Amino acid sequence: MEPICLIVKDAMDTAALTRQVAGDRDGAVATFAGTVRNHHRQRPVDHLEYHAYPEMAQAELQRLAHHLADRYEVNGMALVHRTGRLAVGEVSVFIAVAAPHRQPALACCAAAIEVIKQRLPVWKKEFFADGGEPEWVYGPDEICAGKPGAGPAQGRSTNA
Amino acid sequence: MKVKVLYFARVAEITGGQDQELELTPGATAGEALAEVVRRYPALAGPGFSPLLAVNREHAEASRILTDGDEVAIFPPVSGG
Repeated sequence: MEPICLIVKDAMDTAALTRQVAGDRDGAVATFAGTVRNHHRQRPVDHLEYHAYPEMAQAELQRLAHHLADRYEVNGMALVHRTGRLAVGEVSVFIAVAAPHRQPALACCAAAIEVIKQRLPVWKKEFFADGGEPEWVYGPDEICAGKPGAGPAQGRSTNA
Repeated sequence: MKVKVLYFARVAEITGGQDQELELTPGATAGEALAEVVRRYPALAGPGFSPLLAVNREHAEASRILTDGDEVAIFPPVSGG
């Protein structure tokens, strides 16, 4: 089946997406949901705003899906990222991978979220519950202060 | 030649967010387009703040040579997920 690659503005139906990717040939469906947590760097997070370059993000998801389909023995895939304002606990990114066997399903799902975090043109802005100024998160490792002068991470955290 | 320039996230906040048209000499690179934008918006050149580039909706290096009508995007390191 053609991969489902979407940038969406509203809450996603993860159960429906999971059902859509799975077929009779599949013995495994691996899913990953990224959710909004209530803290970041010891500060209480009230909500997040996700901004995207939607046309490029959509194209990136399509490129990623085809790259993964070439590398892993999988039958179906959904790669979905949400934008806009998200409350704590809401799903920001969802991946579902259906395959005949568990190993490629799990490996493909894990690879997908790593590439999404490294490459997808989406940015999150954190709004804090302590009343402080909202801050952009720079870079996939979330270890930079969200200030213009702070800049991207120079190294890659291995304990994310 | 003319290229369309798009801004996102913190970069859009600094530039005002509107897409812009940039007149460049033929053969100019994406990096030269960025340099022109930074000249207009010096705040983009803050210490350690290194915007990334995309051309026609694909990640691109600064050395990428542009052609007339290209869509160039300038944005901070991505933080989706």
